[in-house]
Amino acid sequence: MIPYTVERRADTGVNNVTLGIWLFLASEVMLFGALFSAYALLRTAAPSWPRGADVLSLPLGTANTIVLLAMSAAAWRARSAAGAAVRPRLLLSTLFAAAFLVVKGVEYSAEASRGILPSSGMFPAMYYTLTGLHAFHVVGGIGANLWAIAGATRVSAALTAGRTRALSLYWAFVDIVWLVIFGLLYLS
Amino acid sequence: MRVFSTDHKVIGKQYAITSLCFLLLGFGLILLIRWHLAWPTRGLPLIGGWFGESNVVQGILLPEFYNQLGAMHGTVMVFLAVVPLGVGAFGNYLVPLMIGAPDMAFPRLNMWSYWLYLAGGLVMMAGFVLPGGAAASGWTSYPPLAVIATAGQTAWLLGMLLIITSSLFGSINILVTILQLRAPGLTLMRLPFFIWAQLVTSFLLLLAFPPLEGAAILQLMDRLAGTSFFLPSGLVVSGQTLPVTGGGSPILWQHLFWFLAHPEVYVLILPALGIVAEVIANATRKPLWGYRAMVGSALFMGVMSFLVWAHHMFLTGMGPTMSAFFQVTTMIISIPSVVIVSSLLLSLYGGSIRFTVPAHFALAFLPMFGIGGLTGLPLGLAATDIPLHDTYYVIGHFHYVVAPGTLFALFAGIYYWYPKVTGRQLNETLGRLHFWGSLVAMNGIFLPMFFQGFAGINRRLYDGGRSYSFFSGYEGTFQLQAWAAGLLALTQFLFIFNFFRSLRHGMRTTDNPWHATTLEWMTTSPPPHENFHAAPSVHRGPYDYSAPGAPADFIPQGQR
Repeated sequence: MIPYTVERRADTGVNNVTLGIWLFLASEVMLFGALFSAYALLRTAAPSWPRGADVLSLPLGTANTIVLLAMSAAAWRARSAAGAAVRPRLLLSTLFAAAFLVVKGVEYSAEASRGILPSSGMFPAMYYTLTGLHAFHVVGGIGANLWAIAGATRVSAALTAGRTRALSLYWAFVDIVWLVIFGLLYLS
Repeated sequence: MRVFSTDHKVIGKQYAITSLCFLLLGFGLILLIRWHLAWPTRGLPLIGGWFGESNVVQGILLPEFYNQLGAMHGTVMVFLAVVPLGVGAFGNYLVPLMIGAPDMAFPRLNMWSYWLYLAGGLVMMAGFVLPGGAAASGWTSYPPLAVIATAGQTAWLLGMLLIITSSLFGSINILVTILQLRAPGLTLMRLPFFIWAQLVTSFLLLLAFPPLEGAAILQLMDRLAGTSFFLPSGLVVSGQTLPVTGGGSPILWQHLFWFLAHPEVYVLILPALGIVAEVIANATRKPLWGYRAMVGSALFMGVMSFLVWAHHMFLTGMGPTMSAFFQVTTMIISIPSVVIVSSLLLSLYGGSIRFTVPAHFALAFLPMFGIGGLTGLPLGLAATDIPLHDTYYVIGHFHYVVAPGTLFALFAGIYYWYPKVTGRQLNETLGRLHFWGSLVAMNGIFLPMFFQGFAGINRRLYDGGRSYSFFSGYEGTFQLQAWAAGLLALTQFLFIFNFFRSLRHGMRTTDNPWHATTLEWMTTSPPPHENFHAAPSVHRGPYDYSAPGAPADFIPQGQR
């Protein structure tokens, strides 16, 4: 048996899952940090840069921001549920996450039909890359949510609680990244 | 033994076998180049017809194939051979054993880590059968060249994304395991230096690889979706203006790449230093000299390694202010390396050294790594780097660090822990032959590179530079290198033969044949599932050798 999967270790103050997810998020900060640095460098070097709202749909983007915040609020509320009771709350956050992807898909197809493609300039290139990688994280999170929901009736309540905590932290991170992307692309 | 095992010992062995195969492959690729550089007009003997008319004509490498061999040699050696051997194999097998844990913290993630690594390696290798061949833009994949290259570069990028994911899972696992699963009584300052080295290495992998992941995504977008992140405006290829919007920055790739690739140097070195420390403490029968200073240096080295990357870019015109900053940080980071190597050297003083095969490799590591490190200093200063940049001097410098440096340490580790993994010893005589042959051959290959570099011979010339005046008088050095490379190949067959023969016919050993102190020697050889028959606890530091008044010249960490 591997110790400290659910109980805390006294001298570090955390269990394995909590330490693992924080290390993972540290790595993710470096990934998006590198891309945001690339954004800053390429934007300052660009001779001109469009207003985000002129190219993208600010109403849809704003609506999607609200959907995403609701998603991680639902995931965060699952932390206070015990055992199988996390399932409806995680399911709700999964539905919000799926709704986010649907709206994003609508935005992509609207932009593509207006001829805005990754190859049409540095702003759309950045837009598709950053939002695409973010959407990939949403897809991954949906998978992790479903895995935790399926496991909630099979594994111990303590293990489910640990997974739920890790998921809520992950979704909060996905939210924060989105808020930065929203600011860099839609609002500036 | 299950193939899809979650046992860290099985995964460690899978990593070891796979990375040793890639090591041999990477060596094979460069052997072709060594022959070609020595005798560019004389076809390859015997095997000249194996590579297809599009790559090798009448035994002579075509320029396009030469580029693929160079790029893939670097990629295979760094990403698929040395790091997976040092971290994947040694880290996986030994970390839980040395800290008294039953397994890694996340065994299933650990299994994924191995299979993603294998998949990444195979995807990269698949480039060789794609039209246009494998990636050919150097192991650094600099754009714009890499963006306009053939499909092999896409395979390289996809393979790299898989390897980065594998390394992410692996590094989280090692970090959580070391911090969370230490046996009772094993405080941080009682950890063997090897474990500290793995801890710092994993932090570097965790935080340095993601920027390359980001860069690889951007380059994939450039290649597949028509973006111009790394393509400047008005780029002309073969007389045609490239139909892209442009406005991108090739230098941006270099920043993101070297932000990984300099810490990567320490990822290559630190596990090696960890192995050498264990072997030297054991061979000298003394505690390591300056253990605390070594731990502090390893941590400091880890932090500093994030602040030196642009010393690879003095020629990009980034200006004297930036150059000055990175020169200063580069000089500073040499200090912790010197502290560690000096501590290891001082550990020898007054010791009654047991000249075992692992001790041979570990002792040779010190001067070899010393040459590699000291020849790096002139490259860290812009004034001397500018004339030496892109010459064979650079190749000589970093090969001394990784080949007779890191690889010798990894060989020391294989000879040292083979009895623990298999319950049998490797043959001593073959081991000594392997050592002396490798030592002579590697110096025969890499020492001439410094002189070629001083003469100004550029590292990337297909014919070695025969059409330039700087080449005159150096033909013989290339032929010496080819002979030495041949000797190195022959010597490695001794090792391969010894490795497989000893699995069956090696001398059986006891659980602790080296009379070592650390926890992995307190269990059976090979260890059982979940590692220890009774949960160990720790009562002393890692190197309690030759304690006055003790009945034996070593006291195991787990002994009261």
